[in-house]
Parts: sequence; structure tokens; C-alpha cells
Amino acid sequence: MALSIRTDGEAAGLAASSSRGTTGAWWEEPVVLRLVSIAAFAAIWEVAGRIPVSFAFPTFSDTMVAFFGLLADGSLASAYLSTLQPLVLGVVLSAFLGVGLGTICGLWRTGEWLLIPVFIVLQAAPVAAFIPMVTFVYGIGMTAKTLAVIILALPVIVLNTYKAVRNVNQSLLVMCRSFLGTPWQTVAKIILPDASPVIFAGLRLGVAAGFVGVVLAELLITPTGIGDLITFHRSRADYAEMYATIGSIIALSTLTLVFLQWVEARVFRPEKRGA
Amino acid sequence: MARLSRRTILTAAFAAVLLSAPLPAASAGDMRIAFGDLPGIESIQTLAAIERAKERGVNVELIVLNDEDLAAQAIVGGQADVGIGAPYTLIQKAGVPIRVFAQISTLRFFPVVNSEFYKEWKDLDGQDVAVQARGSGTEAVMLLMAKNHGIKLGNVSYVPGSEVRRNALLQGTLKASIVDAANRRALEAEAPGKFIVLPVENLKASDEALFATADYLKNNAADVDILVEELMKTAREITENPTVAVEFRNKYKLLPDLGAEADGEITEYYKETAAAGSLALSGGGADAAADDFAFFSLAGQIEGDPASLKVADFWDVAALDRAVAKLGKK
Repeated sequence: MALSIRTDGEAAGLAASSSRGTTGAWWEEPVVLRLVSIAAFAAIWEVAGRIPVSFAFPTFSDTMVAFFGLLADGSLASAYLSTLQPLVLGVVLSAFLGVGLGTICGLWRTGEWLLIPVFIVLQAAPVAAFIPMVTFVYGIGMTAKTLAVIILALPVIVLNTYKAVRNVNQSLLVMCRSFLGTPWQTVAKIILPDASPVIFAGLRLGVAAGFVGVVLAELLITPTGIGDLITFHRSRADYAEMYATIGSIIALSTLTLVFLQWVEARVFRPEKRGA
Repeated sequence: MARLSRRTILTAAFAAVLLSAPLPAASAGDMRIAFGDLPGIESIQTLAAIERAKERGVNVELIVLNDEDLAAQAIVGGQADVGIGAPYTLIQKAGVPIRVFAQISTLRFFPVVNSEFYKEWKDLDGQDVAVQARGSGTEAVMLLMAKNHGIKLGNVSYVPGSEVRRNALLQGTLKASIVDAANRRALEAEAPGKFIVLPVENLKASDEALFATADYLKNNAADVDILVEELMKTAREITENPTVAVEFRNKYKLLPDLGAEADGEITEYYKETAAAGSLALSGGGADAAADDFAFFSLAGQIEGDPASLKVADFWDVAALDRAVAKLGKK
């Protein structure tokens, strides 16, 4: 958990180095404030762990020691190697499928009526409840886990894309028509670029949901990777290791989202650069 | 900076106060029992003992949790008084102030192999098997038996849920695994002759036991004694005549959700359990503790040489001794 906040600090660092100057006193620097926030969080955790709040609640320092222990003995690396497979596969499939389906639904009424209700239901449903159902159909392997990631990631990507495409600036469309743009040009040069901020937001949410999906799958289907480390250390009452693992996946998820935001700003959205 | 750190301290103190608010303790005569699992047919004996304890004036409240860990948490946090499970790991590693005070039953797992491929333990040398989870009892049973038979298992994979492994065995995805009593019977019913149950010798580790905080045991000795006595009596009655399990069920209206058709299954289950001597007739005690030390240290759930572990660090046998003095040892 501490790590997740560190990544926030890094995000602030990125922003600070690119834009905000050195106005104000040093303690008003975002970096300093973020560091203080991390320190305060760690301190509260440490105190809570020392009381202790529960026998199953390790101190911050124990958790950090456990984290480096897991890193050193390679168990964290091998766990991520197996967790990342369904995650990356599921997220990549969801991204392409989701943007594709969302665009189609946004442009084509029949598609909208056919598909959007399904995704609204999927998004509203407590997905954890039907992950066990996935195992009845797809067994307990990679397919089931990848599917769990897709079930969580796809709806939000489809719905965001659909809404973005549907709500494209009408005057831009009128402009395209007046310049005799072909339908393909309308989609490629007007609709998608104009919808891209919301599509990217959907993709980021989708990636975050994918992390939820993969952890759920590894806890509920078969314990592999991160799910295995969490359940194993819990069954052994090694709570520091358990929290270190949970913290690491939160950190990775946050880092990934920050990275995506950075990529979006740098590569795809020149107008946002330096914002 | 001074201002800042003071604020940090205040925030921390505030959080600490919030998080450590004490929970109200139970009044005398009340006993909150936390199940670490949804009660099923294997819980009939415990449930019957609880009903009889109620008849003798102990006001028992049942709390069903979905994990044994949570039961232990509830006990330590004061939200429950007596837990059901085998919390050796927690006692040793997390140092929680709880003690086991009576064994209910011993573990019964059935290593099952597809008869097309394997016939006996020796055939499993170097072969892949599937068990519940890393560090679980099922894994320990497989490893213990492999050791006893001088073989070495191949790849051990982890598939949680006996019913999931049963289906995988039926589908042929798994060729060797280990399941519980209900799923073993289901395998025999659904595919007679297709599977062989390998013998498990000398397995006497606790499956379920009662535990509570040392303070609770000391301060509520009368209630605890009643529960322990009833547990031993029901275990003896069922072992003597397994059909009384169904009588218990009807008399106390236990597990009404399962319907009348569960009666046959209950009779079968307790016949087997009684024949295997799985119910603790005298509540376990030091002997059970010694068996558990051996098994759970092999499973990796507790550390240290089993011979050097002290019974008093894990068990409180006072209530058991009183019950045995009253009912006699069996």
C-alpha cells in the first residue's frame, strides 16, 4: 500500500518537472507534500500495527521487510510471471474488442440495441458472484482467468467508447460533411479523435478493472501467482508477506495507470502535453 | 516540521483510538460459537452437542463465518467465544492467546486414482497429483503417504474444492487427486469401478477442534464443561450406533435446508466415520496434540521439532480432564 502512494508521488514528480515552477516555499512543493503524505501513512500504519489492531495486521516495517524478502527469494517475480499472463491477454483483448464494439454501437442503432443492455447489466452485476460459473464452463485454467479479466474490463471500455462516439461534437460532423468527407473519413478523422479522451479514460478504467478481475480469479478459481501468494501466506499466518503481496499488486496497478496516463499525454494527445 | 509531526502523531493517535475500540464482552451463561465453515452433514454431531448444551442451560448463539481464520479473529476480537477449526498455525506464528480445548474429529481424506492408469501408491511414483492448496491438509496427506510408501510424487498442482477435483477426475482432466468423504462417495456412485481409493494409514490429525481464549476457558469453566461433555457423549453415541445421527437431526431439527433426502447420506457418512474411528471419543487431549504436531509440522503449518513442542502452548486440557473424570475414558 505504501508503494501505491509512492507511485502517486512519482506521478506528481512527472507533473512537477514538466510544468509547475518553483513558486512558493519548499514545503509547498507537490513532491514534498506527497512525501509527507507517504510518511504520515506509513507512520499511522506502523502505529496501528504496533498496537496491534489485530494479530493479523503487521507493522509497516515488517511488511516492507517481507516485501524485500519476497523480492529476494524470487517468489514475487515468479508469481507476477503467472499473474500477468491472463491479465495482459485479457486486457489487450478487452481493449481491442471493447473499443471496436463500442464504436460500432455508437455508430449503428441496431448494434446499440443488441449489445449495450448486455454491457450495462454486466457492469452493474456483482461479477465476483459469477466467476465460479465461469469455472463450470471453462474449467480452471488460463481461459477461465482470462475470461474473468475480460468480464470485468470489457463493459467499462465498451460503454465509455460507445458514449464517447455517440456524443461527438455535432459541429465537427457538420464541418466534415460540408468538406465532403467520406463516412470512413468521418470515423477516422473526426469521431475517433474527438472521442479519444473518453475512450482513453475507459481504457484506464478497464485496465484497473482487469487487475480486479485477475486477483479475483486467482483467489476464487485456482490459486496461482499473486492469489497463491496471498492465500498461502494467509494459511501460514505470515501476515506481513500477505500484506506485502497485496501492497505490491496495488502498487503495480497504480503504476500501470500512471504510466498509461503518461503515454496518453505524450504519444496520443499532444494538446494535453505539459498539462 | 514540529507542527507537522505533531499533526501526524495526533492523526495516528486518532486512528489508533478508532481502530482499537473495545468490543462488549458476553455475559455469563452465554456462549457464542463461531463455525469456520457452513455447517454440513459432517457437523451433525457438533450441532447436536450444542443443542444438548442448550438444554442444559448454556445459551449458545451460532455464528457462521466462511473461513477458519475469521473464526479465530472473532475469538481474539471478542465477537465470539468458542471457535471450530484447528488453529495451530495461528497459535504458533501469530501468537494469538487461544487454546484448543477439545478435538471433535480427525481428518479423513481419500486419495483417489483413475484405475486405468494407477492401481496403488507405488504407481504414483513421479506422477502428477492435484490437491486442495499449497500447504493444505490434503497436500500433507499426499506427501505423508508418499513418504510412507517410499515414493516421490511428480508435479503437485493446486485445485481448491473437493467437488471441483471430483469433476476433473470424472472428466479425466485429473488422474490422481484427493477428495473428502462426500465426494469420494459421489465418485463411486457416478463411475463405479473407474476409480481406486488408495489406503491412508495412521492418519490421526485433527480436522475440527474447539478453541477459545485462555481467559474465556478459565472464567466460563461451567459452560465449557457442559459443551465438552455433550460433545464426548454424542461422539460416543454415534460411534456406537451411527443411525442416531439421523435421530439427532430429527429431534433437534438440524440442517432443515437439506431436506429429508439427506438422511440416507447422513447415515452413510456416520457409519463410515464411526468405523474409521474419526470422532474423538475422549476429546483428544495430549495424544491428539502429539498427532497434530507431527502432521501439521509435516504440512509446514507449524515450525519446530514435533517432539519438542509443548502441549500446553496449544491446548488447555483442563475441561477435558474434568469431562473424562466424569464420563470415563474411551
